[in-house]
Amino acid sequence: MTGWHLDDDALRRYVERTDSLTEGASAEQHLLSCEPCRARVNAAVDVIDLAAVWDRTRDAIEVPRPSVFERLLHAVGLPAHEARLVAVASAFRAVWLTGAAAILAFAALAAAFGHDHGVWLFLAVAPVVPCLVVASSYDPWMDPALEPELVTPYPALRLVLLRTIAVLALALPTVLVFGLVIPGDAPFGWLLPAVGFVAVVLAASTWVSPLRAAIAVSSAWLALVSLLAARFGSPDAIIQGRAQAGFLVLAAASFVIFILRRRQLRQLRPWG
Amino acid sequence: MDSRPVDETLLLAVAERDMGAFRTLYERHAGWLTIRLTRRCNDRDLVADAIQDTFVAVWQRPRGFRGDGDIAAWLWGIAIRRLVSRLRSRGGVAAVFEHPGAAPAAEDQVLLSVEYGDIGQALARLSPEMRAVIQAVVLDGLTAREAAQLLHVPVSSVKTRLYRAKAHLRAALAEGSS
Repeated sequence: MTGWHLDDDALRRYVERTDSLTEGASAEQHLLSCEPCRARVNAAVDVIDLAAVWDRTRDAIEVPRPSVFERLLHAVGLPAHEARLVAVASAFRAVWLTGAAAILAFAALAAAFGHDHGVWLFLAVAPVVPCLVVASSYDPWMDPALEPELVTPYPALRLVLLRTIAVLALALPTVLVFGLVIPGDAPFGWLLPAVGFVAVVLAASTWVSPLRAAIAVSSAWLALVSLLAARFGSPDAIIQGRAQAGFLVLAAASFVIFILRRRQLRQLRPWG
Repeated sequence: MDSRPVDETLLLAVAERDMGAFRTLYERHAGWLTIRLTRRCNDRDLVADAIQDTFVAVWQRPRGFRGDGDIAAWLWGIAIRRLVSRLRSRGGVAAVFEHPGAAPAAEDQVLLSVEYGDIGQALARLSPEMRAVIQAVVLDGLTAREAAQLLHVPVSSVKTRLYRAKAHLRAALAEGSS
């Protein structure tokens, strides 16, 4: 631009680092604004294999950044490869979680403003959301990581449990927050049924696909709730102590069955 | 020949995720950045890592360039800080390049006095430690903290050496002009 350029000797001294501090500083200042001289310096680089650095750079930018959820799992102590396996499940895609949260929000709002009918609606929806999300978190039909899981010698039980815990860690606080807007004892009435249904789905998935199990459990629950709602006006039937104890027994029994039958887990096989 | 429109066009394309433009930008700048970094740090692996980090950062935030000044200067600002950050995470031994031009040849001295006057000779008489500080703070525009990390000395030493170096240069110039 100025018509002044580094002469060949100065350029050679700069690249070979045999110049003085002031000469080097002058060359560097010139290089910042002079493209032809930069091109001459570029041509003289032999200390580093820049093609190899380019390959590494391209690889680095093509690796997708871990999702927020995956980084969170890693932060609480899960090794990076396990965090990847857990987080890759479709249930953790933002759209699924948003959908589940929207259903719950709708039910909670209905409960807050619609009195008894609303509370029934919330009690019908809230307990089945966690088990549906858990099922979709390891159902082969919805699992994008199925192929790598089939060829990776990784304990299926551990994977399913890790994903279940991760789902519950996400879903329970969400449902709990929505539950707080419900009047009366209902906010916590859904908790034990929810845990029970998750356990039932885990146990049932040793026979059938997790998603089918979850859909069956949810349908049965919805049918039961509508029956109870039609017969008794108030939701006490579900909230009362005896019913809650029943859900606790259901959860414990199902979990024992799941552990006993863990070798029959359908999770690692493609499900027709 | 003005390089700014070319680089700015490339950077805009990089912001649109154009890998070809990114490759061209790399080829236009990785070389001289490497040479300049190896003048600060003689560990080639570390410099290669810093170059990689620099271009990864450019890919992730191409709009970090605000359109003032040369893109080359913007890239250098990223590169020297990536190098400092790599040095910091490695800890360990200082990898600062000891400038071999500590005793310039007579011809260079003449050239310098022609081009820079007395300041060149005054700089040449500084101790290597002081020159390194001047180079990091004055010429590379690093903060005292960044210079301390680059040179592996405490921040207080950077400040002291910078102060002494300036006093030394001032005295040398006053002596020359009187």
